[in-house]
Parts: sequence; structure tokens; C-alpha cells
Amino acid sequence: MHDQEEEVVIGSLSVLGAGLAFGLGGIGAALGIGMIGSKTIESMARQPEMAGRLQTTMFIALGMTEAIGLLGFVLAFVLQGVK
Amino acid sequence: MSAPTASADPLNAGIEKLVHELSVLPLKGEHLGIAESYNPAHFTLTNYTFWMLIALVLTTLFFVVASRKPKLVPSGIYNLAEAGVAFVRDSLCAEVMGPEGRKYFPFIGTVFFFVLFNNLLGNIPPALPGTGTLGTTFMWGLIVFTVYNGIGIKKNGLGRYIKSFIPSGTPVWLAPFIFVLEIISHFLRPITLGIRLYANMYAGHIMLGVFAIFMAIAIEHVAATSFVVLPLSFIMQVVLRGFELFVAVLQAYIFAILTAVYINGALHASEH
Repeated sequence: MHDQEEEVVIGSLSVLGAGLAFGLGGIGAALGIGMIGSKTIESMARQPEMAGRLQTTMFIALGMTEAIGLLGFVLAFVLQGVK
Repeated sequence: MSAPTASADPLNAGIEKLVHELSVLPLKGEHLGIAESYNPAHFTLTNYTFWMLIALVLTTLFFVVASRKPKLVPSGIYNLAEAGVAFVRDSLCAEVMGPEGRKYFPFIGTVFFFVLFNNLLGNIPPALPGTGTLGTTFMWGLIVFTVYNGIGIKKNGLGRYIKSFIPSGTPVWLAPFIFVLEIISHFLRPITLGIRLYANMYAGHIMLGVFAIFMAIAIEHVAATSFVVLPLSFIMQVVLRGFELFVAVLQAYIFAILTAVYINGALHASEH
């Protein structure tokens, strides 16, 4: 393969990889955040007096789940730099 | 990152310029067109540290002005500052750590208000959030890491703190694996703290910038699609700006509450 062709292939594949990293990473985080939200609402409806503590715990779990999705976002930018 | 290269595609050129503008650059007058990149080995005022210093001055000014005339019945700016401080003390420290948590209120309050003021300042157009660069956030992650480990060692003693990495009742053959896993999870904490905050701020600004680029292109190259793209982008811009304000507060809250959770875990390390 010519050098120029190789460059194009690597460049386009890195962009594809970046998209996949962000997209697939986002699916997992989205499912996780959805589950956290739905379960918190369920628990709050069941025991409204626990709402305050549930909310605190929800935000902690939310932060941890979100970090996984954002790792994909950062990885996407790293992969895009590959040329 | 290098300076934007002339690209034929207006969208590509715009995004390249946006990413360049959001990268760390030395502050020299108008920094937009400067080709030289930031050298971490030199002590220079960068665009991010410049806005971080402004946020620092604003934070100090806010609390100095607010607490100048303490009143029994709070009103105005004093009320706002008191509500913020009381929120951190009661909803963050006391909620997570119990009454013991008030001792760590100064540290957690510092973390919370630093992140909050930087995040909020980043929402005023020419300003950049000081927390929008990995250098700042990762450094804060390391500070939190040092502090909570220091508290854990001081409270439990080094031997007992390290021993607490293995829960009691673990089979002997499993103990080394658990120990290694626990060490890894501890070292991942500053990294995730840093990346979460940085990526949230950076991603928000990229999103806002992309819709601004759409608007600019729609105005510059008027076509039939312009009349659809322009209002839609404008609505998205307004909605996203509101969402960014929410994220700014939420991320400060999450950063501070995770700090509190880590300190709490270190305090009660020997109990489980």
C-alpha cells in the first residue's frame, strides 16, 4: 500500500474508532443512569420520608456512572488525534 | 494542539478553530491566532489559569462583601452566601459523615466553592472555566486523594488503614487479589474525579460551540436550509446554556459529595 493511502485508512479508522468509543460508552452510561433514576423514583414513592438520603446516594451513583460514559468521550478525542 | 490549518470545509474549519480555542494556550493578548503551543515546562499564564485567577478573586470578593455586615435576619447577598455555606455544611458534610463531618467542612467547602465559581464563570461567553482543563481537575483529584488518605492514616494508623483494604472474613487465598483490587480502585479515584469534571465542562463548551458554528455557517452561506438551521440552533443554544448552568452546579455538588464520601470511608476504614 502507498504511504498516502495508508495515512487515509488510519485516519478514517481512527475517526470510526472515536465514534464507536463514544457511542458504545454512551449506551452503557445511559442505561446505568436510567436505572439509577427509575429505582430512585420507585424507592421515593415507596418511602417518601427517605427522599433526602436517597437523593444524596443517587447523586453519588450518578457521578460514578457518568464518569464511565465520559471516559469514552475523552477516549474519542484521543483517538481522533491519531493520524 | 496545533494552530488551525486552513480547511476548505467551513464546518471542519470552525470545529478545528473551536478545539484550538478551548485548548490550553499561553495568554498573549489575542491568543486566537498564535501558532506556538503551550509548553508545560515554562511557567506561563495560560487562558485557563487567567480565568481561574478571576474566579478566585470573584469568590473572595463575594464572601468578603457578603460577610461584611453579619445580621441576625439575613437578606440579599448575605442570605445567598449563608444559604450556600449552610448547604455545604448540612447537606454535604453532615448528611454523609454525620456530626463528625463538620470538622472537615472547611476543606469540602473550599472544594465546592472553587469548582462552583469556576464552572459558573465558564458560562459567561468570553470566559473559560478554570475546571475545563485536565491539569486543574486532575490536580484537585490528587489533593483530595492525599487529604483523604492522610485523614485515614491519621485516624486509624498506617498499619490498620492498610489492613482495612482487606475486609475481615476474607479467605486467605483471596486476600491478595482483594488487596490489589482495592489499591487499584483507590488510585482510580483521583483519575475519575479529574476526568468527570473536565469532560463535563469541556463537552458542554464543545456542544455550545458546535451550535454556534451552525448558526455562523447558516448566516454566512444563506440557503434554503438556513431558515431551518438558524432558529433550531438558536433554540438549542438557549436550552443548552440552561443545561450547562445546571451541570455547573451539579458537578460542583458531585465533586464535593464524592470528596465527603471518600473522607468518610477513610474515617471508618477499620470498622469493616
